[in-house]
Amino acid sequence: MKTSIQVFGACLLVLTISLATPKWRVQATPPLVSKASAIQVLMIQSDEIKLPVEFQISLYEHLIQQLEKKGGFQHVYRDGDKNAAGVPDLVVLHSTVRGFKKGSEMARQVTTVTGETSIDVHCQFTDKDGKSVLERDLNGKVMFFGGNLRATFDFAKKAAKLAHDNFVANSGS
Amino acid sequence: MRWPSWKVSIGFLLLLFGALAAPSLAQQAADRVNVVHVVGLRGVKENAKGTLAIENGNLRFVDSRAKAVVATAAIEDVVTGNDSQRMIHGSFGTLTMFAPYGGGRFLSLFRSKLDTLTIQYRDSDGGLHGAIFTMAVGKAEPLKKLLVAQGARTSAPLQDSSSGSNRKTDAAREQKP
Repeated sequence: MKTSIQVFGACLLVLTISLATPKWRVQATPPLVSKASAIQVLMIQSDEIKLPVEFQISLYEHLIQQLEKKGGFQHVYRDGDKNAAGVPDLVVLHSTVRGFKKGSEMARQVTTVTGETSIDVHCQFTDKDGKSVLERDLNGKVMFFGGNLRATFDFAKKAAKLAHDNFVANSGS
Repeated sequence: MRWPSWKVSIGFLLLLFGALAAPSLAQQAADRVNVVHVVGLRGVKENAKGTLAIENGNLRFVDSRAKAVVATAAIEDVVTGNDSQRMIHGSFGTLTMFAPYGGGRFLSLFRSKLDTLTIQYRDSDGGLHGAIFTMAVGKAEPLKKLLVAQGARTSAPLQDSSSGSNRKTDAAREQKP
């Protein structure tokens, strides 16, 4: 009797594991998005949040720099570039600022724990037809060293990595 | 003692040339501003120090290694702002952060004010570019005026130079949320 209960328990355990494993596998799989040979970066939008223009430009320029530096895309097109129209597998990056806290470089240097500058940006990748293929919220911050604009560099690195991991054919994901 | 007439003539000529040349030299000095390129210009490193000149319908940035030219007619927006930086900055400034007894922190309290000039322009393919420069206080607004006078556009209205002491606060306000 005792043995049959143990066998039944073992079977139940095996069954549970076999049912649960594919579910884990599905969760671990990255979102299914098509690979792209080129990316177009649109100008950063900040309709809801009043963002100083130097932060807007710095976000945009650092984003393009980091995408070019990271490699993988044949072309990184800028907002309004006419040449992007002829690329069939183009992915377009729309970035919208959702939060901005301008800290103080002096406060960071003097106190270490205050004066952080932080920018929250919603990134939406669309295909050429405007259909959304990937959306993610990213954050850029500067906590100690560097000026306030360094937060834009931090965001750009994260966004370039996201684009590279999801849209570059040989990214290894 | 009498001066020979040819010496007097040459003296007059020199005075005349001097008087004619002085305003153009002054103009040139006003048009060339020492700036730091923060980000944006293709082929120019970040934080490169150079001179910014506005002449013949072009904005020209020149440093020891690179040169960048942007047609003022292609500039879609010019905005000025202000910022500040440590008096002791750069690599040495970073090293001072590790000074004992909070010496680095104390030095961080001493700061110099800066003007910023941000431009947005399009290249020949229609691609949008942006560039940011920092410079000494009071230099950005005259540069913006020169750019607008030579065909650049701006989303923020030009400040009235006759307002004197209010000019700086107005320029600061231009960027405040």
